Amino acid sequence: MPRRADAELAVARMGEMSPDLRGCAVLDGYGNVLASSGGSSWERAGRAFLEAADSADGERVSQAHVATEDGEAFAVREGGLAMVAVSDRFALASLMLFDMRTVLRDLARGDGVPDRRAPGPAEQAPVPPTPADASLPTEAST
Amino acid sequence: MTPKPHRLLLDRVSSYADEAGAYVRRRRMTRKPFARVGYPGGRAAAYEPETEAGRNLFLAASELIEAARS
Repeated sequence: MPRRADAELAVARMGEMSPDLRGCAVLDGYGNVLASSGGSSWERAGRAFLEAADSADGERVSQAHVATEDGEAFAVREGGLAMVAVSDRFALASLMLFDMRTVLRDLARGDGVPDRRAPGPAEQAPVPPTPADASLPTEAST
Repeated sequence: MTPKPHRLLLDRVSSYADEAGAYVRRRRMTRKPFARVGYPGGRAAAYEPETEAGRNLFLAASELIEAARS
């Protein structure tokens, strides 16, 4: 079970990554809200959305996407957790679902929710040498 | 033989009109509400709003959209 602070971080990450996002919530395997972007109706509405998706074909869904005139609703299940989200109309659905799945996967792993937009250590540009470094003895000079 | 200038102009105008018509048709299609559900293993299904499953999905989605407003 992820910590509540990590779930809140996951919700914040989603807000940073998806400019079209209006709000989202992370639910545990029982449909209880671990974190949400505000408001008290997320638990009931999120659970109802997942149940409606599950009952469509009598099988547990891995994702759902419903586009209405008022906005778009998404749901993703991953690693025993679920995330429901609402975006503006014409949001890039594949990107939204990918971001939701990535955040949930990080959350389910239990070691925090890294900022995947930041460059990794291998991608970071090398630090240019400073004049102080030049005065240090090098291997060639020793 | 070189085509007459007015034919070139007509062709150009009708091609722009075709493009605009296709854009409007595509836009209308994307504006149509839809519900898509994915299952483990990659299977996916779409539900029309007229079906019972589709109606339930649209109602639940509307509730979720309302939750995001509050």
